[in-house]
Amino acid sequence: MKIERNFLKPKMAEMKKEGFDYLVKITAVDYVTYVEAVYVIRNIDKDTEMLLEVDLDPSDLWLPTMLPIYKASDWYERELQEMFGIEIKGRRARRLLLEKWDGKEYPLRKSFKWNAPYATSE
Amino acid sequence: MSVTRINVGPVHPSTHGVFRMVVDVDGDTVLGVEPHIGFLHRGVEKLVENRMYLQCPPYMEKLDYIAPMAMGDSYISVVEKALGVEVKPKAQYVRLILLELQRIASHLLWLGTLCNDIGQMFTGFMWGFRDRDIILRLLEDATGQRMFYVNMRLGGLVRDLPADFEEHALKTLDYLEGRLADYTDLLEKNPIFMERMKGIGILKAEDAKDLGVTGPVLRASGVSYDVRKNNPYYAYAALNFRPAIQGSGDNFARYKVRMLEMAESIRLVREAFKRMPDGDATGMQIRLITPKAQNRISTVSRECPRGEQFLYLVADPQKAYRFSIRSPTFINLAALSHISKGQRFADIIAILGTLDLVMGDVDK
Repeated sequence: MKIERNFLKPKMAEMKKEGFDYLVKITAVDYVTYVEAVYVIRNIDKDTEMLLEVDLDPSDLWLPTMLPIYKASDWYERELQEMFGIEIKGRRARRLLLEKWDGKEYPLRKSFKWNAPYATSE
Repeated sequence: MSVTRINVGPVHPSTHGVFRMVVDVDGDTVLGVEPHIGFLHRGVEKLVENRMYLQCPPYMEKLDYIAPMAMGDSYISVVEKALGVEVKPKAQYVRLILLELQRIASHLLWLGTLCNDIGQMFTGFMWGFRDRDIILRLLEDATGQRMFYVNMRLGGLVRDLPADFEEHALKTLDYLEGRLADYTDLLEKNPIFMERMKGIGILKAEDAKDLGVTGPVLRASGVSYDVRKNNPYYAYAALNFRPAIQGSGDNFARYKVRMLEMAESIRLVREAFKRMPDGDATGMQIRLITPKAQNRISTVSRECPRGEQFLYLVADPQKAYRFSIRSPTFINLAALSHISKGQRFADIIAILGTLDLVMGDVDK
């Protein structure tokens, strides 16, 4: 389900009240022209799962924090920040997740230079 | 109140790999734990994006190197879903048998290291490793490898089980069932063990859900969620799988859930042998495949020994465009700080032991 960034936080709060109280994963996909953030939430009692997708402009990469709603989002958000360069607004600034990473390049973006001998063309 | 900051690791026998944590203590009471991870980061997600589908299982198996069979299985499952490949009926049973044997082996290693972690219990460590080795020998019979089996292929396995495998496996299971009773005797009648377990590191059900913990840690807090039950795959529904659930959420509950899981795995394997259909379990051989992705986006959840592994795959015809892994131990470790608050310093190691970390899986 696609959703706009501005509506993401109220929507997540609403879904949590409806029983989707388990955050499975926050991840992102770099489609070059846009970056898509994916939130996977689950209703444990009813066994239903839901994917919320937010499209982001690469020149304006930020997301609101989900920490007040799901504590589980803490490390996932730090991971997004580190791997995709998506700024997470509204949370206390913390060090990035992995050790000794300079944070100037974002490894999971498609622009990251990759020189493996067996890499196939994009 | 005087705050002292203590560094533990990154090379420490009780951190189960290369893992560092900075602990703030007041006297002996823990005020906060800040885990530092990433020493084993290999960028598996990026590697998978740059390799053909069938070049990737060896990378995946090195994530959770205590349970490589489960890692290889979840990867192959998500690729099967993306390519629209059905798993053969017999292969479903064979995979279930191998996965459950792997779960027992993984839990035995956990049990051994837990005994080691809480100190002075080297008997448990030796017993755990010895019994795990018997299962590794079984898996070696089935796959040709002691670890890193790379045994899964699209639609099945590299090879069917050998003819005498069932006999050997059932004999081993009988032996292990007796051993589980020995473990219970050894540990639960030991006052030192019980004092380090009962009432230590309590995680309540609401907190467990909110923190997103998974697997035995979640079920020990009384939340009934097991992928094998709630979203069954392979033959788990047919075998009437019963998840192990405890309510107290402390170290002892996490220990007990894993002990009960081992007993349930033994039952599942026996049942699976009884009901296994005839036929062929071999999958497609590598050279015969020209993968063409059917589904652009596929997700798969698998109950690995350490919890639920969730995989998100955006597929291109020949390789993954984006591959995202939700490691069970990653999110369990994120809960460490919450669980440890207010505990004694020495109990952090016991809590870490019951969280059952594998740093290769945390760091990806």
